[in-house]
Amino acid sequence: MERRTFIKTLAAGAAVAAARGALGAPGAALAQEAQYPDLVAVRGTGITAMFDRALEALGGLGRYVKSGQTIVVKPNMGWAVGPEAAANTSPELVAHIVKNALNLGASKVIVFDNTCDNWAAAYRDSGLEAAAKGAGATVAPAHEAGYFQEVQLPGGQYLPSTALHEAYLEADAVINVPVLKHHGGARMTAAMKNLMGAIWARGPLHRAGIDESLPDLLLYKKPVLNVVEAARVMLSGGPRGRGDSRYLSGQLLVASEDAVAADSACAAVLASAGLPVPTYMKLAEERGIGKADLSSLNIQRLNA
Amino acid sequence: MASRKAPDLPGRAGADGARACRAIARAGPERRTVTLPMKDTKASRPRNVRRALAVAALAFFVLAFAFPERLGAPLSFAAKLQFGQATAALVSAGALYAVALFAAYAALTAVFGRFFCAFLCPLGAALDLAGALRMKARPRNYAYKPFRAWRIAAPALALALFWLGASLPFGTLEPYSVLASVSCLWEGPSLVLMAVLASGYFYGRGFCNSACPTGFLLSLFARIPGRRLAFTEKCLSCGRCGKACPASCCDPGKRAIDRARCVLCLECLAACPNGSLRYVPKEAAPEAGPVRRSFLRKAALGVLAGAAFATPEGARGRALPDPEPPPLLPPGALSLARLGAHCTHCHTCVRVCPNHAIAPMTEGGPGLWGKPAIDPYRGFCQYDCVECARACPAAALTDLDVVVKHHLRLGEVRLNRLECIVVKNGTSCGACAELCPTGAVDMGPGPSGRDEPLLEPRLCIGCGACQYACPVRPQSPIWVIGLKYQDSLGSTPPVSHAEDETLAEEFPF
Repeated sequence: MERRTFIKTLAAGAAVAAARGALGAPGAALAQEAQYPDLVAVRGTGITAMFDRALEALGGLGRYVKSGQTIVVKPNMGWAVGPEAAANTSPELVAHIVKNALNLGASKVIVFDNTCDNWAAAYRDSGLEAAAKGAGATVAPAHEAGYFQEVQLPGGQYLPSTALHEAYLEADAVINVPVLKHHGGARMTAAMKNLMGAIWARGPLHRAGIDESLPDLLLYKKPVLNVVEAARVMLSGGPRGRGDSRYLSGQLLVASEDAVAADSACAAVLASAGLPVPTYMKLAEERGIGKADLSSLNIQRLNA
Repeated sequence: MASRKAPDLPGRAGADGARACRAIARAGPERRTVTLPMKDTKASRPRNVRRALAVAALAFFVLAFAFPERLGAPLSFAAKLQFGQATAALVSAGALYAVALFAAYAALTAVFGRFFCAFLCPLGAALDLAGALRMKARPRNYAYKPFRAWRIAAPALALALFWLGASLPFGTLEPYSVLASVSCLWEGPSLVLMAVLASGYFYGRGFCNSACPTGFLLSLFARIPGRRLAFTEKCLSCGRCGKACPASCCDPGKRAIDRARCVLCLECLAACPNGSLRYVPKEAAPEAGPVRRSFLRKAALGVLAGAAFATPEGARGRALPDPEPPPLLPPGALSLARLGAHCTHCHTCVRVCPNHAIAPMTEGGPGLWGKPAIDPYRGFCQYDCVECARACPAAALTDLDVVVKHHLRLGEVRLNRLECIVVKNGTSCGACAELCPTGAVDMGPGPSGRDEPLLEPRLCIGCGACQYACPVRPQSPIWVIGLKYQDSLGSTPPVSHAEDETLAEEFPF
């Protein structure tokens, strides 16, 4: 049903565009945007099925990935621990997104992370390097300053400039695929915090204050889509996870074009488990970088 | 190639036997105007094979030093095969593999001669290359030198001191360490390596018989009669073998090759114009003469003198200072004294550390110069990594199981909370807690009203991740001090077996 409507809208848009010239297209696109929810939350088991369900609601991955584009899929693979620790994004989910993007005609899909643990160990132990390569992605190293280029962040209040990974700069679209976790420093890590793995020097953010400076990372090139995996949520000992870490069986996947909105939903999950939540979403909303107030959003809640 | 007039170059005599003999007969043995075609013959083939093997060994090590990420495992394996390192591992830990390797090298050397020096030693190959460079630049001949006892003084003393627990001389002269160690002054080839290569340029394999403790040890085994290079009746006394011998152990006058000093480089075979040198079985060897007996007496005296000079207490007491706080040692070092006594400062650990956290020490006195220490400002000791301990060819770092390492304390965390930016600037951070693998550093509400680092020292293994992650430089307000003795965590890090919690409502938003 959704897909049919989408195709019809596209056809109508194309007809209008043909009739009115190129200027007609944005109008059609706007009309079509309104039909999609701001945020989709899917509960269930089987992370790939949950992803498919969420993207169906958002109008398909084809809205974000176009033929011939270079796509960056940015997981959290910062830690040299296995998938069972839920400290990194699930390899299954990342491989699934990579495959789908390539099937949609993406010319190249690049996966990378500026890791916290030793990069080779983290790429290997997380299982993400093998999974992403197996799915056809290019797994790029990100352990040396040479892979990053300094860019100005327009309107950056705490971070006037930062060094972004060259793949991030080169990409036509970035798909942000974090995992939801407790975080000892930032209280929570999900969509916004995951972008700290796309830059080189994290020191300036720590010096300026994580909550205050994190919104600045959304100023240069926002991810077109944020898919937060919350299948199993680390509730303590994050972000690395320890022997005594507590977990929540979240069985949840949150997808949104707005990283701030996605993080706000994630914060509600942690809050329901009695954890304190960070303030960086609120600070981002105050600066007009995203929406943190969930009551103002069109949220679609699904089961898969 | 054009023929060349004087001087008479070793290794280039070549030519098929008959032609060469005619030329020599015409010219006379002492004349240096003999011209011969410079072409390889059957006689130089063993030498060429030997050179190829040695250069391959050298090339492998140089490659492995350059790409330790890819070649770390073969590097540590090959380093452990080095005779000097096996000897060190035998002395340090009595490692079973080292005992077996040592016995095998000793037996093979007794039977075949010092094959290790010319075929397997990468530094020997580097010396050959330095000698060859000299031959290209300013051709000259080597000459036989009679054995002199003073030449074994340095290597014998180095060995004796190592046995007694002072490792600096042995580590400075052991060939793998010479080749592998990075300079303390900058991260490149060490000054010692450059000095040794210079000696190769001027004196060929002189190093192998007057400085190298490995060569000295092998020379002792080579004194047991076995297969050897020897002259046959065909010898014309042309003297080319002696001029070609970079170890200066081939005496054409007496038609004798000193088996103890011969590194089996086979240059003499290649230089001999009529194949009168042969690698013959033991029976053809002359009986042990007075020279050997007197040598053995001198060698024994030398070792005894070394032992007297450096009594265990004396050597250790002089060599091991007591820096406070102690440096942060790599996992498996176990104690400052043990590392000081057994480390040959080959820096294999420095090379294989994936986090580049280990660097040679420049302070702490002669007992610790060049020994490895973790510098958390460069990198931290990765929780699940035991690469350095696994790689150490001298067993100065004990090979650790990952689980054992999780409970091994390398150091202790210290915090100056007033300098922490959470307290000082009133902003959120938590970089230290983020990287802490054990929960020794955790963020929690502190007196400042914000989440600030809280220490649980009984969980700290001293990996240095907190100090590395802290954004404050040059002096991090959270840091790790080393321990004199790496010991076990007092308590086992807590493990939770709790079931995963479930969401209270289907969608909490």
